[in-house]
Amino acid sequence: MTEKLLELKNITMKFGGVTALSEVNLHVNKGEIAALIGPNGAGKTTVFNVVTGVYKPTSGEVNFNGQSVIGKKRYQVTRLGIARTFQNIRLFGESTALENVVTGADVHSKSGVVGAIFGTPRSRREEAAAVERGMELLEFMGLKHRAGQLGKNLPYGDQRRLEIARALATNPQLLLLDEPAAGFNPAEKVALAATIRKIRDAGYTVLLIEHDMSLIMDISDRVAVLDFGQKIADDVPKVVQNDPRVIEAYLGAPADAS
Amino acid sequence: MDFGLLRDAFWGLTFDGLALGAIYALISLGYTLVYGVLRLINFAHSEVFMIGTFSALVASGIMGVKVEDDPRTGWGMVFTLLICLIAAMLASGITAVLVEIIAYRRLRQRGATKLATLISAIGVSISLVELFRIITDSLPREFPRIMDKTFLFSYAGADIRNDKVIVIIAAGLMMFALERFISKSRYGKGIRAVSMDENTATLMGVNINKVITVTFLAGGMMAGAAAFFYILVYENTSFKVGFFLGISAFTAAVLGGIGNLKGALFGGFMLGVLETWTSAVFGTAWKAVISFLILVLVLLIKPTGLFGESIQQARV
Amino acid sequence: MADKKHRFNVRDHAATYWENSPKWRRIALGVFFVAIFYSLPFLNNPLINTPGSDFQSVLFYPVGMYVLMAIGLNIVVGKSGLLDLGYVAFFAIGAYTMAILGTRTSLNFWEILPIGIALSMVSGVLLGTPTLRLRGDYLAIVTLGFGEIVRIVAVNIEAIGGPRGIAGIPTPPDVFNAKFTILDPKPYYWLLLTFTLLVIWMVRRMAARRPGRAWDAIRQDDDVAQLMGVNTLKYKVWAFVLGAAVAGAGGVIYASQILSIVPDQFNLNLSILILACVVFGGIGNLWGVILGAALLAFTPERIRFLSQPRILVFGIALVVMMNLRPDGILPKKKREHFDPNWKTVEESGEGEIK
Repeated sequence: MTEKLLELKNITMKFGGVTALSEVNLHVNKGEIAALIGPNGAGKTTVFNVVTGVYKPTSGEVNFNGQSVIGKKRYQVTRLGIARTFQNIRLFGESTALENVVTGADVHSKSGVVGAIFGTPRSRREEAAAVERGMELLEFMGLKHRAGQLGKNLPYGDQRRLEIARALATNPQLLLLDEPAAGFNPAEKVALAATIRKIRDAGYTVLLIEHDMSLIMDISDRVAVLDFGQKIADDVPKVVQNDPRVIEAYLGAPADAS
Repeated sequence: MDFGLLRDAFWGLTFDGLALGAIYALISLGYTLVYGVLRLINFAHSEVFMIGTFSALVASGIMGVKVEDDPRTGWGMVFTLLICLIAAMLASGITAVLVEIIAYRRLRQRGATKLATLISAIGVSISLVELFRIITDSLPREFPRIMDKTFLFSYAGADIRNDKVIVIIAAGLMMFALERFISKSRYGKGIRAVSMDENTATLMGVNINKVITVTFLAGGMMAGAAAFFYILVYENTSFKVGFFLGISAFTAAVLGGIGNLKGALFGGFMLGVLETWTSAVFGTAWKAVISFLILVLVLLIKPTGLFGESIQQARV
Repeated sequence: MADKKHRFNVRDHAATYWENSPKWRRIALGVFFVAIFYSLPFLNNPLINTPGSDFQSVLFYPVGMYVLMAIGLNIVVGKSGLLDLGYVAFFAIGAYTMAILGTRTSLNFWEILPIGIALSMVSGVLLGTPTLRLRGDYLAIVTLGFGEIVRIVAVNIEAIGGPRGIAGIPTPPDVFNAKFTILDPKPYYWLLLTFTLLVIWMVRRMAARRPGRAWDAIRQDDDVAQLMGVNTLKYKVWAFVLGAAVAGAGGVIYASQILSIVPDQFNLNLSILILACVVFGGIGNLWGVILGAALLAFTPERIRFLSQPRILVFGIALVVMMNLRPDGILPKKKREHFDPNWKTVEESGEGEIK
């Protein structure tokens, strides 16, 4: 049955006098592609930040696999199984594409400095495994030929794909994508949609923030809509698309409101 | 450890601490202003102060005052002191602006990393210190007593000296003037705008380079005033005078809340008093250690300081 | 990705040659260069002779010592991006350990060396754990303060010599008939060189593996590194501790050669000097840092008139380097390379992910 992988209960997020999120209730079911949409400033990225432990919510619960993630350090949240990409691409530009991804894959290695210095068998095993996983993911995202290139030198589309590969390298259960299609032309968006489906089919759960409605409606199983920090809709794409509140949030009230 | 001294001379020490604190407050204004607009610790600020002290010295020399002379009186004294003050403020202000142009501007415009800018700052700081060490042959210099130091009155066992009173009052006046400048003048508004949001400020037509130059100039002039007051009270300077005073003044800025003028003022006075008390108890050799411990404690427990805004985080 | 100017780039050519070399050639080249470094003390060439001081002595200090310390500081500042302005403190701790234990116990150099390293590492943990959470500028000033505190403490505690320091530090016991005396710097130099080679080996191993990746991530974007699962505080403390260990070892070796130490020689200027070596050589770039340190240490010895205003020159060099050539004296690698056998070469040429 549909199992709630991620659940936000009554999340309120205040920064000084500004309320970014107000009593938001959201959930993502295992194995689905869920979308989070809303006008600019609605609080979508704030939701991502709260979930990944960047911000501590003013009140409310965030449960992942039934376990609360509030108060956990960011790297611990990642180890629990949540990974993300960023609205403004934040790659390790001075590192190669492979290094970027392997850094993510490292999260599951147990050996560290001591292992590296002494070359312990476990360290060598984990190193090989991490690099192998890195190459697999590069291939999965169609970036194998870029493995040795520096992140900052990659073309824009490849950079976005690399960010996704890096996030996947941490072997998450839940993948948060923040505007993955930003700056893409229609052909690239179609390819991205196929990739996201491929990711879901490989066993990951996806929550994405996007502005491109056709992309959202095409691939999402469910769509939640935020406006001014509050959730105003949460249903299958067809229903949300025709919800008058959602239309109003994006376009303003209809001129002939009666 | 001598708590007895602290107990017996409490008010005297507190008064002395306020005078020292006034000097700290003026210097820390420079740190806090620059941090507000650039999010950068201006390591060279301590040398801006040091150069101010030497300028006051040179000015006094140009006016023919010698160390062995008797103190002057009347309007002659006031005139001489004012010239020294102005010389210090001008020299420090100009030095601060030059530092910005030479060490920071290019890096800022190229969007260099924080690390690179800090290293450039340290390079300037150490170069200036060494330059003056070579010029002064590592020897400290004495400042002539232009104003006769008299005890105005006694209060609760504290001997209130005229020069320290002047320092406290004058420093207060200067800070008031700066505060007016920041809140009322066009450049002041520009400084506040850039502190809050550089991108928006640019979009609103603020000339970033000019604002930053004015920021360094204002902070530098305050440090120059502090330099004059320092040399008035302590009557000597050396190439390394900036180092410990700089660290203390920076601690004061952090204590009060970096980026916050009121904080710099309060932090300065508070740190001056704290340092003077602890010097009485532990001896002057440990003064720097106490300052440093206060700095670390503030950064770990309440990095935004006493009056700090939460805009900038001291923690990653 | 085309170069802006197609120049003959020594570094790229050297790196390409190295990568394309079969294993036997690499070993041969390695042995060749190591042999050269070991035979440096026997060089007697008017071009490099240092007027005013003994060339062999200069090789040990400042050249060898600055190189070692620069490698250590490079892990902290260069790879991890942590601005440590108090590095001299760890050097002092190592030196004082040698001085105190050497003059007051019957332990010899070889027994004291691990103790000195351990004490430095412990100090690194104690200083680093609370302060490495702080942002760059604050970390810089806190480490600056720490460096000064160590010096002030040393000056003011009579039990460890006070301002006059400690004298009569014993020399290391003989090794393979090599006598460590104040008259002959050669065994000290070889000891230092061996230790330095060991450290280089360690650094390269770490750089090519998980720690190196973690440090690169931390330097480039600490927040994102955390979100990719890197425990940044742990790795930052490790960088700090390893840097401290290197400096501490250097201090122990230094004290056993110079035989008397005073607290005032472990001052801020030395921290800045080592930082200048790292900057000059190219932050993060191991070979550049080694070359930079060697040059910066050697040049004032060779050109005497530079010796007095040495620190002034270093300070100016810092400003100039940061503004005009932030990548250091060795130009950054322009080409990238991909081998379908999964071998890639890191930007700084420090190792391979195989």
